[in-house]
Amino acid sequence: MSLNKFNKVKISGISVVVPENEINIYDEAEYYDNSIKKIDRMRKMVGFWKRRVANKEQTALDFAYNAAINLIEEMKIDVNTIDALLYVVQKPDWLGPVNSYFLHHKLGLSKECIATDIVQGCAGWVFGLYIASQMIESGAHKKILLLNGDTPSIGIDPSDRNQAPIFGDAGSATLLEYTDQTQPSHFNIDTIGEGYDAIISPFSANRFGLNFLKDEDFEKLSILRKEKATLPTGNTQPLLGSYIDGLKVFDFTIKQVPKTIKTLLEYANTSQSDINLLALHQANKQIVQGVGTEAGFDLAKVPYEAFEMYGNNTMCSIPTVLSMLDKDIKKENVCCCGFGNGLISAAAILNLSDTYLGEIKTFKKPEYVWANTDEYIDYWRKKMQGQV
Amino acid sequence: MKKEEFLVELEDVLQREEPCNETDILEEYDEWDSLSKMAIMAFYSKNFGINVTLNDLKELKTVEDLIKLAGDKIDA
Repeated sequence: MSLNKFNKVKISGISVVVPENEINIYDEAEYYDNSIKKIDRMRKMVGFWKRRVANKEQTALDFAYNAAINLIEEMKIDVNTIDALLYVVQKPDWLGPVNSYFLHHKLGLSKECIATDIVQGCAGWVFGLYIASQMIESGAHKKILLLNGDTPSIGIDPSDRNQAPIFGDAGSATLLEYTDQTQPSHFNIDTIGEGYDAIISPFSANRFGLNFLKDEDFEKLSILRKEKATLPTGNTQPLLGSYIDGLKVFDFTIKQVPKTIKTLLEYANTSQSDINLLALHQANKQIVQGVGTEAGFDLAKVPYEAFEMYGNNTMCSIPTVLSMLDKDIKKENVCCCGFGNGLISAAAILNLSDTYLGEIKTFKKPEYVWANTDEYIDYWRKKMQGQV
Repeated sequence: MKKEEFLVELEDVLQREEPCNETDILEEYDEWDSLSKMAIMAFYSKNFGINVTLNDLKELKTVEDLIKLAGDKIDA
Protein backbone atom coordinates (compact mmCIF):
# COMPACT_ATOMS: atom_id res chain seq x y z
CA MET A 1 0.00 0.00 0.00
CA SER A 2 1.07 3.57 -0.63
CA LEU A 3 -0.84 5.98 1.58
CA ASN A 4 -0.69 9.73 1.02
CA LYS A 5 -2.53 12.89 1.98
CA PHE A 6 -2.61 16.23 0.15
CA ASN A 7 -3.97 19.49 1.54
CA LYS A 8 -3.69 22.13 -1.15
CA VAL A 9 -5.33 20.53 -4.17
CA LYS A 10 -8.76 21.32 -5.53
CA ILE A 11 -10.44 19.39 -8.35
CA SER A 12 -12.12 22.26 -10.17
CA GLY A 13 -13.88 20.55 -13.06
CA ILE A 14 -14.47 17.38 -15.04
CA SER A 15 -15.77 16.87 -18.56
CA VAL A 16 -16.41 13.62 -20.46
CA VAL A 17 -16.76 12.86 -24.17
CA VAL A 18 -18.09 9.64 -25.71
CA PRO A 19 -18.38 8.63 -29.39
CA GLU A 20 -21.74 8.93 -31.11
CA ASN A 21 -21.94 5.30 -32.19
CA GLU A 22 -24.06 3.40 -29.63
CA ILE A 23 -24.40 -0.37 -29.63
CA ASN A 24 -27.30 -1.96 -27.80
CA ILE A 25 -26.94 -5.60 -26.73
CA TYR A 26 -30.57 -6.24 -27.71
CA ASP A 27 -29.52 -5.56 -31.32
CA GLU A 28 -26.93 -8.34 -31.03
CA ALA A 29 -29.35 -11.21 -30.36
CA GLU A 30 -27.64 -13.30 -33.06
CA TYR A 31 -24.83 -13.94 -30.58
CA TYR A 32 -27.28 -15.14 -27.92
CA ASP A 33 -29.21 -17.74 -29.95
CA ASN A 34 -31.73 -14.97 -30.71
CA SER A 35 -32.96 -15.35 -27.15
CA ILE A 36 -34.13 -12.18 -25.41
CA LYS A 37 -34.25 -14.18 -22.17
CA LYS A 38 -30.53 -14.89 -22.43
CA ILE A 39 -29.83 -11.21 -23.01
CA ASP A 40 -32.08 -10.26 -20.07
CA ARG A 41 -30.03 -12.62 -17.90
CA MET A 42 -26.77 -11.01 -19.05
CA ARG A 43 -28.16 -7.57 -18.40
CA LYS A 44 -29.33 -8.48 -14.92
CA MET A 45 -26.16 -10.30 -13.91
CA VAL A 46 -23.42 -8.16 -15.46
CA GLY A 47 -25.21 -5.05 -16.68
CA PHE A 48 -24.65 -5.55 -20.42
CA TRP A 49 -26.87 -3.04 -22.22
CA LYS A 50 -25.54 -0.08 -24.15
CA ARG A 51 -22.01 0.99 -25.01
CA ARG A 52 -20.36 3.73 -27.08
CA VAL A 53 -17.68 2.66 -29.50
CA ALA A 54 -15.24 4.56 -31.67
CA ASN A 55 -15.08 4.07 -35.40
CA LYS A 56 -11.67 3.12 -36.76
CA GLU A 57 -10.73 6.71 -37.60
CA GLN A 58 -11.21 7.87 -33.98
CA THR A 59 -8.49 7.57 -31.36
CA ALA A 60 -7.96 8.08 -27.63
CA LEU A 61 -6.16 11.33 -28.51
CA ASP A 62 -9.23 12.67 -30.32
CA PHE A 63 -11.51 11.97 -27.36
CA ALA A 64 -9.07 13.47 -24.85
CA TYR A 65 -8.63 16.56 -27.03
CA ASN A 66 -12.37 17.00 -27.44
CA ALA A 67 -12.95 16.67 -23.68
CA ALA A 68 -10.21 19.27 -23.07
CA ILE A 69 -11.76 21.74 -25.53
CA ASN A 70 -15.17 21.33 -23.89
CA LEU A 71 -13.82 21.82 -20.36
CA ILE A 72 -11.80 24.90 -21.38
CA GLU A 73 -14.90 26.41 -23.03
CA GLU A 74 -17.39 25.48 -20.30
CA MET A 75 -15.18 26.69 -17.45
CA LYS A 76 -13.76 29.62 -19.43
CA ILE A 77 -10.22 28.55 -18.58
CA ASP A 78 -7.44 30.90 -19.70
CA VAL A 79 -5.12 28.37 -21.39
CA ASN A 80 -2.10 30.57 -20.62
CA THR A 81 -2.57 29.85 -16.90
CA ILE A 82 -2.29 26.05 -17.30
CA ASP A 83 1.22 25.09 -16.18
CA ALA A 84 1.15 21.32 -16.67
CA LEU A 85 -0.58 18.94 -19.06
CA LEU A 86 -0.79 15.27 -18.17
CA TYR A 87 -2.25 12.86 -20.71
CA VAL A 88 -3.00 9.36 -19.48
CA VAL A 89 -3.12 6.88 -22.36
CA GLN A 90 -2.38 3.27 -23.20
CA LYS A 91 -3.24 3.30 -26.89
CA PRO A 92 -1.27 6.26 -28.25
CA ASP A 93 -1.58 7.55 -31.83
CA TRP A 94 2.19 7.08 -32.26
CA LEU A 95 4.93 5.84 -29.95
CA GLY A 96 7.13 8.94 -30.16
CA PRO A 97 7.03 11.69 -29.17
CA VAL A 98 4.64 11.37 -26.26
CA ASN A 99 1.25 12.45 -27.57
CA SER A 100 0.82 15.22 -25.01
CA TYR A 101 3.13 17.45 -27.11
CA PHE A 102 0.61 17.28 -29.93
CA LEU A 103 -2.17 18.14 -27.45
CA HIS A 104 -0.04 20.95 -26.00
CA HIS A 105 0.24 22.42 -29.51
CA LYS A 106 -3.41 21.96 -30.53
CA LEU A 107 -4.73 23.35 -27.24
CA GLY A 108 -2.48 26.42 -27.58
CA LEU A 109 -0.69 25.91 -24.26
CA SER A 110 2.31 28.05 -23.34
CA LYS A 111 6.02 27.26 -23.35
CA GLU A 112 5.95 27.45 -19.55
CA CYS A 113 3.44 24.58 -19.42
CA ILE A 114 5.16 21.21 -19.15
CA ALA A 115 3.61 18.18 -20.83
CA THR A 116 3.96 14.43 -20.58
CA ASP A 117 2.09 11.19 -21.10
CA ILE A 118 1.41 8.75 -18.32
CA VAL A 119 0.86 5.14 -19.33
CA GLN A 120 -1.89 3.57 -17.25
CA GLY A 121 -5.09 1.62 -17.84
CA CYS A 122 -8.30 1.34 -15.84
CA ALA A 123 -6.81 3.07 -12.79
CA GLY A 124 -5.54 5.92 -14.98
CA TRP A 125 -7.82 8.64 -13.67
CA VAL A 126 -7.02 8.12 -9.99
CA PHE A 127 -3.36 7.59 -10.86
CA GLY A 128 -3.32 10.84 -12.84
CA LEU A 129 -4.91 12.70 -9.91
CA TYR A 130 -2.25 11.24 -7.64
CA ILE A 131 0.63 12.51 -9.81
CA ALA A 132 -1.00 15.91 -10.40
CA SER A 133 -1.75 16.32 -6.67
CA GLN A 134 1.92 15.86 -5.79
CA MET A 135 2.97 18.40 -8.42
CA ILE A 136 0.58 20.96 -6.90
CA GLU A 137 1.25 20.10 -3.25
CA SER A 138 5.01 20.55 -3.81
CA GLY A 139 4.38 24.11 -4.99
CA ALA A 140 5.86 23.45 -8.44
CA HIS A 141 2.55 23.84 -10.30
CA LYS A 142 -0.67 25.76 -9.79
CA LYS A 143 -3.05 24.59 -12.50
CA ILE A 144 -2.92 21.18 -14.14
CA LEU A 145 -4.98 19.83 -17.00
CA LEU A 146 -5.31 16.06 -16.66
CA LEU A 147 -6.55 14.31 -19.79
CA ASN A 148 -7.58 10.70 -20.16
CA GLY A 149 -8.43 8.86 -23.35
CA ASP A 150 -8.92 5.24 -24.26
CA THR A 151 -10.34 3.10 -27.04
CA PRO A 152 -10.51 -0.39 -25.56
CA SER A 153 -13.13 -1.48 -28.14
CA ILE A 154 -10.77 -1.04 -31.09
CA GLY A 155 -9.51 -4.35 -32.43
CA ILE A 156 -12.09 -6.51 -30.66
CA ASP A 157 -14.16 -8.64 -33.03
CA PRO A 158 -17.91 -8.19 -32.41
CA SER A 159 -18.29 -11.98 -32.23
CA ASP A 160 -15.88 -12.06 -29.25
CA ARG A 161 -18.51 -12.26 -26.54
CA ASN A 162 -15.91 -12.29 -23.74
CA GLN A 163 -14.79 -8.78 -24.49
CA ALA A 164 -16.92 -7.04 -27.11
CA PRO A 165 -20.01 -6.41 -24.91
CA ILE A 166 -17.91 -4.98 -22.07
CA PHE A 167 -15.93 -2.10 -23.50
CA GLY A 168 -16.81 1.44 -24.46
CA ASP A 169 -14.55 4.28 -25.60
CA ALA A 170 -14.25 7.78 -24.11
CA GLY A 171 -12.13 10.77 -23.20
CA SER A 172 -12.14 12.98 -20.12
CA ALA A 173 -10.60 16.23 -18.96
CA THR A 174 -10.04 17.21 -15.33
CA LEU A 175 -8.75 20.52 -14.00
CA LEU A 176 -6.76 20.53 -10.76
CA GLU A 177 -5.76 23.76 -9.02
CA TYR A 178 -3.79 24.96 -6.03
CA THR A 179 -6.01 26.24 -3.22
CA ASP A 180 -5.12 28.41 -0.22
CA GLN A 181 -7.85 26.75 1.80
CA THR A 182 -6.99 23.43 3.38
CA GLN A 183 -8.75 20.78 1.37
CA PRO A 184 -7.59 17.29 2.29
CA SER A 185 -7.55 14.44 -0.19
CA HIS A 186 -6.33 10.94 0.68
CA PHE A 187 -4.91 8.28 -1.62
CA ASN A 188 -4.08 4.60 -1.35
CA ILE A 189 -2.44 2.74 -4.22
CA ASP A 190 -1.76 -0.99 -4.21
CA THR A 191 0.51 -2.31 -6.95
CA ILE A 192 0.49 -6.01 -7.78
CA GLY A 193 3.16 -6.35 -10.46
CA GLU A 194 2.90 -10.12 -10.24
CA GLY A 195 -0.46 -9.83 -12.00
CA TYR A 196 1.01 -8.07 -15.06
CA ASP A 197 -0.18 -10.91 -17.29
CA ALA A 198 -3.77 -11.02 -16.02
CA ILE A 199 -4.82 -8.28 -18.47
CA ILE A 200 -2.30 -7.77 -21.24
CA SER A 201 -1.92 -7.00 -24.95
CA PRO A 202 1.21 -9.09 -25.54
CA PHE A 203 1.42 -8.43 -29.28
CA SER A 204 0.77 -4.70 -29.23
CA ALA A 205 4.27 -3.24 -29.53
CA ASN A 206 7.98 -3.87 -29.89
CA ARG A 207 8.29 -7.26 -28.17
CA PHE A 208 6.32 -8.52 -31.14
CA GLY A 209 8.46 -6.51 -33.53
CA LEU A 210 5.62 -4.26 -34.59
CA ASN A 211 8.05 -1.61 -35.85
CA PHE A 212 10.35 -3.87 -37.82
CA LEU A 213 8.25 -6.51 -39.53
CA LYS A 214 9.85 -7.48 -42.83
CA ASP A 215 7.91 -8.25 -46.00
CA GLU A 216 8.26 -11.99 -45.45
CA ASP A 217 6.85 -11.62 -41.92
CA PHE A 218 3.51 -10.45 -43.23
CA GLU A 219 2.57 -13.90 -44.45
CA LYS A 220 3.23 -15.30 -40.98
CA LEU A 221 1.29 -12.39 -39.52
CA SER A 222 -1.74 -13.05 -41.71
CA ILE A 223 -1.81 -16.66 -40.44
CA LEU A 224 -1.30 -15.65 -36.80
CA ARG A 225 -4.09 -13.12 -37.09
CA LYS A 226 -6.54 -15.95 -37.71
CA GLU A 227 -5.31 -18.14 -34.86
CA LYS A 228 -7.62 -18.51 -31.88
CA ALA A 229 -6.78 -19.73 -28.42
CA THR A 230 -9.33 -21.76 -26.45
CA LEU A 231 -9.65 -20.44 -22.91
CA PRO A 232 -10.22 -22.71 -19.89
CA THR A 233 -13.82 -21.45 -19.85
CA GLY A 234 -14.34 -22.96 -23.31
CA ASN A 235 -14.57 -19.57 -25.03
CA THR A 236 -12.08 -18.67 -27.71
CA GLN A 237 -10.10 -15.51 -28.31
CA PRO A 238 -7.71 -14.28 -31.01
CA LEU A 239 -4.09 -15.11 -30.19
CA LEU A 240 -2.94 -11.62 -31.18
CA GLY A 241 -5.74 -9.85 -29.30
CA SER A 242 -5.74 -8.45 -25.80
CA TYR A 243 -5.95 -11.16 -23.17
CA ILE A 244 -7.97 -11.12 -19.97
CA ASP A 245 -7.73 -13.89 -17.40
CA GLY A 246 -11.30 -13.22 -16.30
CA LEU A 247 -11.37 -15.35 -13.17
CA LYS A 248 -7.98 -14.17 -11.94
CA VAL A 249 -9.10 -10.58 -12.43
CA PHE A 250 -12.39 -11.27 -10.68
CA ASP A 251 -10.52 -12.82 -7.78
CA PHE A 252 -8.22 -9.77 -7.57
CA THR A 253 -11.09 -7.30 -7.67
CA ILE A 254 -13.17 -9.06 -5.04
CA LYS A 255 -10.25 -9.61 -2.64
CA GLN A 256 -7.72 -6.79 -3.20
CA VAL A 257 -9.86 -3.81 -4.20
CA PRO A 258 -12.08 -3.82 -1.05
CA LYS A 259 -8.89 -4.02 1.06
CA THR A 260 -7.45 -0.98 -0.69
CA ILE A 261 -10.65 0.95 0.03
CA LYS A 262 -10.95 -0.17 3.67
CA THR A 263 -7.30 0.69 4.40
CA LEU A 264 -7.85 4.13 2.89
CA LEU A 265 -10.98 4.74 5.02
CA GLU A 266 -8.97 3.89 8.13
CA TYR A 267 -6.07 6.13 7.06
CA ALA A 268 -8.44 9.04 6.39
CA ASN A 269 -10.11 8.38 9.74
CA THR A 270 -13.54 8.01 8.16
CA SER A 271 -16.06 5.23 7.65
CA GLN A 272 -18.42 3.80 5.05
CA SER A 273 -21.34 5.74 6.56
CA ASP A 274 -19.49 9.06 6.26
CA ILE A 275 -18.70 8.51 2.59
CA ASN A 276 -21.42 10.05 0.39
CA LEU A 277 -20.61 8.00 -2.66
CA LEU A 278 -18.38 5.12 -3.73
CA ALA A 279 -17.52 5.80 -7.38
CA LEU A 280 -15.92 2.61 -8.62
CA HIS A 281 -14.29 1.81 -11.92
CA GLN A 282 -17.13 0.43 -14.04
CA ALA A 283 -15.63 -2.98 -14.82
CA ASN A 284 -19.14 -4.43 -14.99
CA LYS A 285 -22.20 -4.45 -12.72
CA GLN A 286 -21.31 -7.76 -11.06
CA ILE A 287 -17.83 -6.53 -10.13
CA VAL A 288 -19.01 -3.07 -9.02
CA GLN A 289 -21.61 -4.58 -6.69
CA GLY A 290 -19.24 -7.29 -5.48
CA VAL A 291 -16.55 -4.76 -4.57
CA GLY A 292 -19.10 -2.40 -2.99
CA THR A 293 -20.49 -5.19 -0.81
CA GLU A 294 -17.07 -6.54 0.23
CA ALA A 295 -15.92 -3.02 1.09
CA GLY A 296 -18.90 -2.75 3.45
CA PHE A 297 -20.99 -0.18 1.56
CA ASP A 298 -24.73 0.17 1.20
CA LEU A 299 -25.17 -0.51 -2.53
CA ALA A 300 -27.38 2.59 -2.88
CA LYS A 301 -24.11 4.56 -2.66
CA VAL A 302 -22.38 2.48 -5.35
CA PRO A 303 -23.63 3.39 -8.84
CA TYR A 304 -23.23 1.02 -11.80
CA GLU A 305 -25.52 2.80 -14.32
CA ALA A 306 -22.54 4.27 -16.16
CA PHE A 307 -21.57 0.75 -17.18
CA GLU A 308 -25.09 0.04 -18.50
CA MET A 309 -25.17 3.26 -20.53
CA TYR A 310 -21.59 3.61 -21.80
CA GLY A 311 -19.82 0.29 -21.14
CA ASN A 312 -16.52 -0.08 -19.33
CA ASN A 313 -14.62 2.90 -20.71
CA THR A 314 -11.54 2.04 -18.61
CA MET A 315 -9.78 5.12 -17.18
CA CYS A 316 -12.73 7.41 -18.02
CA SER A 317 -15.27 5.35 -16.08
CA ILE A 318 -15.06 7.26 -12.78
CA PRO A 319 -15.40 10.67 -14.50
CA THR A 320 -18.39 9.13 -16.35
CA VAL A 321 -19.98 8.04 -13.05
CA LEU A 322 -19.44 11.50 -11.56
CA SER A 323 -20.88 13.25 -14.62
CA MET A 324 -24.07 11.17 -14.37
CA LEU A 325 -24.80 12.05 -10.72
CA ASP A 326 -27.93 13.91 -9.71
CA LYS A 327 -27.12 17.49 -8.78
CA ASP A 328 -28.49 17.02 -5.25
CA ILE A 329 -26.16 14.17 -4.27
CA LYS A 330 -23.68 15.31 -1.61
CA LYS A 331 -20.12 15.27 -2.88
CA GLU A 332 -18.02 16.32 0.14
CA ASN A 333 -16.75 12.84 0.79
CA VAL A 334 -16.47 10.84 -2.39
CA CYS A 335 -14.43 7.68 -2.45
CA CYS A 336 -13.22 6.77 -5.95
CA CYS A 337 -11.45 3.57 -6.82
CA GLY A 338 -9.88 2.63 -10.12
CA PHE A 339 -8.50 -0.87 -10.61
CA GLY A 340 -7.40 -3.10 -13.42
CA ASN A 341 -4.47 -3.84 -15.70
CA GLY A 342 -1.20 -3.64 -13.86
CA LEU A 343 -2.57 -5.05 -11.67
CA ILE A 344 -3.34 -1.94 -9.69
CA SER A 345 -5.97 -0.87 -7.20
CA ALA A 346 -5.96 2.91 -6.63
CA ALA A 347 -8.40 4.64 -4.31
CA ALA A 348 -8.88 8.26 -3.29
CA ILE A 349 -11.19 10.16 -0.97
CA LEU A 350 -11.97 13.51 -2.54
CA ASN A 351 -14.04 16.58 -1.85
CA LEU A 352 -15.97 17.28 -5.04
CA SER A 353 -18.56 19.64 -3.57
CA ASP A 354 -17.25 22.62 -5.60
CA THR A 355 -16.29 20.65 -8.68
CA TYR A 356 -17.83 21.63 -12.00
CA LEU A 357 -19.37 18.51 -13.56
CA GLY A 358 -20.51 18.99 -17.14
CA GLU A 359 -22.97 16.74 -18.92
CA ILE A 360 -21.50 13.89 -20.92
CA LYS A 361 -20.95 15.20 -24.44
CA THR A 362 -21.03 13.46 -27.78
CA PHE A 363 -17.72 13.51 -29.65
CA LYS A 364 -17.26 16.24 -32.26
CA LYS A 365 -14.57 15.68 -34.83
CA PRO A 366 -11.68 18.10 -34.24
CA GLU A 367 -10.38 20.13 -37.16
CA TYR A 368 -7.00 18.43 -37.13
CA VAL A 369 -8.37 14.95 -37.72
CA TRP A 370 -7.44 13.31 -40.99
CA ALA A 371 -10.54 12.01 -42.80
CA ASN A 372 -9.18 8.48 -43.07
CA THR A 373 -5.99 6.43 -43.01
CA ASP A 374 -5.23 7.15 -46.68
CA GLU A 375 -5.37 10.88 -46.02
CA TYR A 376 -3.06 10.39 -43.03
CA ILE A 377 -0.54 8.48 -45.15
CA ASP A 378 -0.75 11.12 -47.85
CA TYR A 379 -0.21 13.89 -45.29
CA TRP A 380 3.04 12.32 -44.09
CA ARG A 381 4.20 11.53 -47.62
CA LYS A 382 3.82 15.21 -48.51
CA LYS A 383 5.28 16.37 -45.19
CA MET A 384 8.42 14.31 -45.67
CA GLN A 385 8.77 15.67 -49.19
CA GLY A 386 8.52 19.19 -47.84
CA GLN A 387 5.16 19.86 -49.52
CA VAL A 388 3.11 20.64 -46.38
CA MET B 1 -28.94 -20.44 6.22
CA LYS B 2 -31.43 -23.25 5.75
CA LYS B 3 -30.96 -25.58 2.82
CA GLU B 4 -34.37 -24.67 1.36
CA GLU B 5 -33.50 -20.97 1.54
CA PHE B 6 -30.19 -21.64 -0.17
CA LEU B 7 -31.88 -23.44 -3.06
CA VAL B 8 -34.12 -20.42 -3.64
CA GLU B 9 -31.12 -18.06 -3.42
CA LEU B 10 -29.21 -20.26 -5.85
CA GLU B 11 -31.98 -19.92 -8.41
CA ASP B 12 -31.54 -16.15 -8.17
CA VAL B 13 -27.72 -16.21 -8.16
CA LEU B 14 -27.70 -18.26 -11.36
CA GLN B 15 -30.61 -16.23 -12.79
CA ARG B 16 -32.37 -19.50 -13.50
CA GLU B 17 -36.07 -19.78 -14.12
CA GLU B 18 -36.41 -23.38 -12.99
CA PRO B 19 -36.16 -24.40 -9.32
CA CYS B 20 -32.88 -25.94 -8.14
CA ASN B 21 -32.78 -29.38 -6.50
CA GLU B 22 -30.02 -31.04 -4.50
CA THR B 23 -29.58 -33.87 -6.96
CA ASP B 24 -29.33 -31.62 -10.05
CA ILE B 25 -26.11 -32.01 -12.07
CA LEU B 26 -24.49 -28.57 -12.37
CA GLU B 27 -23.00 -29.24 -15.82
CA GLU B 28 -26.51 -29.90 -17.10
CA TYR B 29 -27.62 -26.37 -16.25
CA ASP B 30 -27.50 -24.00 -19.24
CA GLU B 31 -26.71 -21.28 -16.70
CA TRP B 32 -23.62 -23.02 -15.24
CA ASP B 33 -21.23 -20.65 -17.05
CA SER B 34 -18.29 -18.50 -15.96
CA LEU B 35 -20.68 -15.67 -15.00
CA SER B 36 -22.55 -17.96 -12.64
CA LYS B 37 -19.32 -19.27 -11.19
CA MET B 38 -18.22 -15.71 -10.44
CA ALA B 39 -21.63 -14.97 -8.94
CA ILE B 40 -21.27 -18.05 -6.70
CA MET B 41 -17.81 -16.91 -5.59
CA ALA B 42 -19.21 -13.49 -4.65
CA PHE B 43 -22.26 -15.03 -2.94
CA TYR B 44 -20.17 -17.39 -0.77
CA SER B 45 -17.81 -14.61 0.19
CA LYS B 46 -20.61 -12.21 1.08
CA ASN B 47 -22.96 -14.63 2.88
CA PHE B 48 -20.64 -17.23 4.37
CA GLY B 49 -17.25 -15.50 4.48
CA ILE B 50 -15.84 -18.36 2.41
CA ASN B 51 -13.40 -17.75 -0.45
CA VAL B 52 -14.28 -20.24 -3.15
CA THR B 53 -11.85 -20.71 -6.05
CA LEU B 54 -12.56 -21.72 -9.62
CA ASN B 55 -10.78 -25.02 -8.93
CA ASP B 56 -13.15 -25.71 -6.03
CA LEU B 57 -16.08 -25.20 -8.40
CA LYS B 58 -14.57 -27.40 -11.12
CA GLU B 59 -14.57 -30.36 -8.71
CA LEU B 60 -18.31 -30.13 -8.06
CA LYS B 61 -20.84 -32.41 -9.71
CA THR B 62 -24.18 -31.69 -8.08
CA VAL B 63 -26.00 -28.94 -6.23
CA GLU B 64 -25.51 -31.06 -3.10
CA ASP B 65 -21.72 -30.72 -3.56
CA LEU B 66 -22.21 -26.97 -3.74
CA ILE B 67 -24.08 -27.07 -0.43
CA LYS B 68 -21.29 -29.15 1.15
CA LEU B 69 -18.79 -26.51 0.09
CA ALA B 70 -20.46 -24.10 2.54
CA GLY B 71 -19.79 -26.54 5.43
CA ASP B 72 -21.90 -25.77 8.50
CA LYS B 73 -23.03 -22.42 7.05
CA ILE B 74 -25.96 -24.22 5.39
CA ASP B 75 -28.14 -26.29 7.72
CA ALA B 76 -29.03 -29.72 6.47
